[in-house]
Amino acid sequence: MDLCSVKARCSVPKPCNHLADYKLKYGRTGYDSLRNNFVTGSNGNTIVCMPDKKILTCFFCNGYHERLYLCLICSSVSCLDHTLLHTQSDCGHDIAVDVKRSELYCGRCRDQVYDPDFDSAVISKYKKDLIVHRNAFESIGERSSKRRRLSSAIDLDLKKWKELSCMRDQRAKSCYPMGLRGLNNLGNTCFMNSVLQALLHAPPLRNYFLSDKHNRGACQKRSLDRSCLLCDIDIIFSAMFSGDRGPYSPAQFLCSWWQHSANLASYEQQDAHEFFISLLDGIHETENKLRDMNKGAGDCSCIAHRVFSGLLRSDVTCLTCGFTSTTYDPFMDISLHLDPSHCFSTETTNKGSKLNGSTSISTSTLVGCLDLFTKPEKLGSDQKLHCQNCQERQDSSKQLSIGRLPLALCLQVKRFEHSLVRKTSRKIDWHLQFPFSLDMSPYLSSSIIRKRLGNRILSFEGDECDISAEYEIFAVVTHSGMLESGHYVTYLRLRNQWYRCDDAWITEVDEATVRASQCYMIFYVQKMLYHKANDEIGCAPTSSRRDSLMSVVGCC
Amino acid sequence: MSASREDNTSSDAQLSPHFRDLLDSIIVDIASECHRIAKLGLDRNLEDEEEELRLSTQARVRAADPSNSGETNSKYVVDIFGQTHPPVANEIFDCMNCGRSIMAGRFATHLEKCMGKGRKARSKAARSSTAAQNRYSRGSPASTYSPYSNSTSKNRLSNGSTGVAGEELSNGTSEEP
Repeated sequence: MDLCSVKARCSVPKPCNHLADYKLKYGRTGYDSLRNNFVTGSNGNTIVCMPDKKILTCFFCNGYHERLYLCLICSSVSCLDHTLLHTQSDCGHDIAVDVKRSELYCGRCRDQVYDPDFDSAVISKYKKDLIVHRNAFESIGERSSKRRRLSSAIDLDLKKWKELSCMRDQRAKSCYPMGLRGLNNLGNTCFMNSVLQALLHAPPLRNYFLSDKHNRGACQKRSLDRSCLLCDIDIIFSAMFSGDRGPYSPAQFLCSWWQHSANLASYEQQDAHEFFISLLDGIHETENKLRDMNKGAGDCSCIAHRVFSGLLRSDVTCLTCGFTSTTYDPFMDISLHLDPSHCFSTETTNKGSKLNGSTSISTSTLVGCLDLFTKPEKLGSDQKLHCQNCQERQDSSKQLSIGRLPLALCLQVKRFEHSLVRKTSRKIDWHLQFPFSLDMSPYLSSSIIRKRLGNRILSFEGDECDISAEYEIFAVVTHSGMLESGHYVTYLRLRNQWYRCDDAWITEVDEATVRASQCYMIFYVQKMLYHKANDEIGCAPTSSRRDSLMSVVGCC
Repeated sequence: MSASREDNTSSDAQLSPHFRDLLDSIIVDIASECHRIAKLGLDRNLEDEEEELRLSTQARVRAADPSNSGETNSKYVVDIFGQTHPPVANEIFDCMNCGRSIMAGRFATHLEKCMGKGRKARSKAARSSTAAQNRYSRGSPASTYSPYSNSTSKNRLSNGSTGVAGEELSNGTSEEP
């Protein structure tokens, strides 16, 4: 499998003969001589400035209205018409530079052409921006070996798994995927059940616990404090994957979690995302206590961080001088604002009358939300930041991008809206389209920066290469109802079949049901891990599933 | 009226080549950007995206059709393992805090009191008055259990078990010592 799909993302087209001839003759000298003439224009693109002339005009006709081209051979500036004439009359003067856009133009092909060496010269002064740290806290050598160690630990230890499987009863031999089991609602706990179902089937997390990486027998915390959150999670995994198909009551776990998150411990309606974060936090703290460590989020190797933690890069650019300062922050999930521009017409009614299959009515899409998340945002004039270059407060713009992707990616959709004026909150019920296969490479720092610099052809130091940016969905937590009272249901995708997990009730559903649901938290895992997981939990090939279904009804 | 129109026409004639140049320039800017994106293969796989959108719209149309059986009755169906379950989970087990036998669907309410957590335990000094308040307002529609009152839950989507929550609250009242 090609893991370097990110590098291959930007394909360099073959140069035309004229460009190839130019390069043979002059190499990079022409490009390099212009290095100091490239200036960032007011709308973000790069323009060519001639220091001696403020306004460039056509050498032949003095026109300045049209686009102007600088001949790379003789440095004459001409408008398009005269550039073409110039190419015809002066042999070899084929390649010119569009001065307003810093793009190569071939007068013979009459088309814009591309050369990585030229792009390299254009962005030479942005070299600093091109450094993409995968992990701001590690040096390069450490980084790659550590990542290899971490990812191997996530693999399912088949030997231990086989031991566990011997203890399963006959019902497990049915063709339903392992671990598929209902969770009893203990009293307003569907927020907890829905997240647990997603986590139980997150391949790296599942493998960790099923491979007995947290051994309850040897757990020190449990023997000392008589309660360990990781042990209680391990108990859930064992129970859910035991082969028993009756619904399980995660009572011990609830007790343990309430002890950990005292502020959330109450019988009241709660938020699934808040629970998710609180649980990951609990795992982190528990593991750190066990190992007697005090690791920050950046370099923590607890299972919660190893699975869900990624790195977010924030670039703040001074709008006056272009100086950019960069910071990195770890994240456990990404919260996305709903992209509002698409939704004015379709959400006023739930009836099918407004929708017909043929027209593609614009709806909010997950990709649209991700685009919004990584869009450069002009900070308000009340948020002027101090620019190191200008030495004063300037208007700035901020842009987020992903510095490092996690193994499993959780995307939360912000479905609440506050009105500060009316002091009320309401739930946003818009439908959000989400794909089953998601390519995150356009949101990586390398892609975002590349785009910001005009999509120039370049490679980055520390470019993402050993982590694929392609993800497959494995769980969706949906919410129905109102802000203060509603119901959570999780859809799980196991072996390409979707299951609806509504507390104790597990049913099979088709893809369309999932697509039409109101997503709140969407869980993706790296494509390779998804396919591997499918192989691991299967016990019958999917093609014979229908036949097996018949036999299951008999034996259950 | 006509005089100003004449003025407009003459200024239009003066203005329009400049405007045209501006417009041309903007168009070429966009054309140049798109040309680069297309030539370098940076455009995302539009076919896949369109297909996903089409499937999504199709799914929504189907879901909006009232003749399709909705998901609302799924609590009363047989699950894939051939089992049925009561609306309130009736498995009985022992509370790990106090040892009493509790029914699964009532466990959270029990545990809250058993562990001394939740609203009642938040402030010892206010305990008696809070408890009195709770008893007072339990029957009212503006439930004290609404997270609106809790500032940390402003960003939260809450949950309950559909339709049963109200019953749970009233059951809790009778259990109170």
